[in-house]
Amino acid sequence: MDVVCCPLDKADLDLDVDERDDDEILAGTLTCTECGETYPIEDGIPNLLPPDMRDEAAA
Amino acid sequence: MTGDGSDPDTDSGLAERRGLDEAVVYQPAEDSGLLAEAALEEAHGRVLEVGTGSGWVAQRIAEERGLDVVGSDLNPHAARQVADRGVEGVVADLLAPFRADAFDAVCFNPPYLPTDPDNEWGDWMEHALSGGESGRELIEPFLDDVGRVLAPGGVVLLLVSSLTGYDEVLALADDAGFAAEPVVEESFPFETLTVLALRRE
Repeated sequence: MDVVCCPLDKADLDLDVDERDDDEILAGTLTCTECGETYPIEDGIPNLLPPDMRDEAAA
Repeated sequence: MTGDGSDPDTDSGLAERRGLDEAVVYQPAEDSGLLAEAALEEAHGRVLEVGTGSGWVAQRIAEERGLDVVGSDLNPHAARQVADRGVEGVVADLLAPFRADAFDAVCFNPPYLPTDPDNEWGDWMEHALSGGESGRELIEPFLDDVGRVLAPGGVVLLLVSSLTGYDEVLALADDAGFAAEPVVEESFPFETLTVLALRRE
């Protein structure tokens, strides 16, 4: 998805695909090219919450 | 948010999993219908719906207008519901992970009910409904940042309730550099709902 960026510093994200179904990326990781923070893609849905909010939501 | 509304969802394919998600995701009501009406009229190009909830509005824009739509929500259950509707879903805090100039239209039906801090109840439904003490706690940061993600010539469609303070929201939009124009409006016993189209001045 070319509309997303790192929520912390707005830098580009690098995509690593773990699982793909035709064109759809089911699982993978988005990594910020600037700060190195990683964001998971699970079930085809990227979770782009900043790390502190992500941990809070999972709790 | 004035009533339960009818559930316009006809896709029963993932009913069981969705049943689980529905308990914690705001489902379409009068405000959703009004936002959809305005968005079908005004949206163009690439569209973002912030706080998409059940994803019903995002799906209608995608299907009835044939536009590229992204639905984002703080609630992962909501992001999954929108994805189940065939719309791209993202878990996000308002506009934080979206690129500058990425969208031609941004729609938002914010959590807007003014809530006494002592009565905050602390679950996903509260995130969907409560706008904090003023009712504008999410509207303020949204308006501060939405100009960044909006492409030139873009439009913001923002639902405002009289409970949230219509004039106060207009003032915030003006501070953020937008001219506001009402697109649709409807009165209910306890509130009047308006969808504003905001464009850069």
